Amino acid sequence: MKTRTWIIILSSAVIVCAVLWMFILNSSSPSKIVGIYQDGSLVEKIDLNSVTDEREITLNGKFGKNIIFISHGHIEMKSAECPDKICVKHGALEIGGTPIVCLPNKVVIQFEETPYGADAKTGAAE
Amino acid sequence: MKIKNLILTAILTAMALVAFTIEAAIPPLTPIYGIKLGIANVFTLFALYALGTRYAAALLFLRIVLGSIFTGQAVSFIYSLAGGVLSFILMILLKRFFPLKQVWILSVLCAVMHNIGQLLAAIFMTATVQIIYYLPVLVISGIIAGAFTGLCAQLVLMRLKKWSDSRYS
Repeated sequence: MKTRTWIIILSSAVIVCAVLWMFILNSSSPSKIVGIYQDGSLVEKIDLNSVTDEREITLNGKFGKNIIFISHGHIEMKSAECPDKICVKHGALEIGGTPIVCLPNKVVIQFEETPYGADAKTGAAE
Repeated sequence: MKIKNLILTAILTAMALVAFTIEAAIPPLTPIYGIKLGIANVFTLFALYALGTRYAAALLFLRIVLGSIFTGQAVSFIYSLAGGVLSFILMILLKRFFPLKQVWILSVLCAVMHNIGQLLAAIFMTATVQIIYYLPVLVISGIIAGAFTGLCAQLVLMRLKKWSDSRYS
């Protein structure tokens, strides 16, 4: 076959795959079940995809209050009274990102199951 | 088996191993496992066209075995072998249809096959069929990476062809 024919075949394969991948990404929204932990014990478990109303959770710790803000598909530490405020600067919790941690008040916000669970099983991503 | 060819295969294997080891040391560009350039494939392709099927098979197998020992990941041996063997079978089956100027196309097909082989191995290892969702991405990355490595091999082959025309088919 001519090189040109091959180029057409290959580029159409790329386009088809790109469309398929877009389709897969849109159809399978990964589960966004988030756990909020204080002092190592579970405070609340929320599915961010089923959240409709915005709300706030206030946790009292050794160094004062932590206010967690939740809306649809979104969770962040709105304010904290601890000295360093690393958890506030972390911003929203993201898929594939690091969990939100407030060390002074021992608060951890993280996904209950990682969306890339399959990779963890194959021992990949090293 | 000519001594000259044997030595050439050994040198090519060493070069492929170096490329493989360096590539393994580079952190992955994407969170999706399996997307990488596969520079080592350049040497397999070169050996197939310049030396022949037997030498290329020896190179490939040695590179996979030694490569997993050098990078220290026993798991990756299974993936490399699954992808390598599948793509190599495709390579020798289709080689006759591709003249020297179309080596890169053969490389693209083999790279895609390599990724499919690795995906099948992953499905088998983890017993999760859902990984098949990665297929489109792996096909795209295979086409891009295969075109690049294929072009590398093709350019080298065409340069060397001018020097010793009789050796290359």
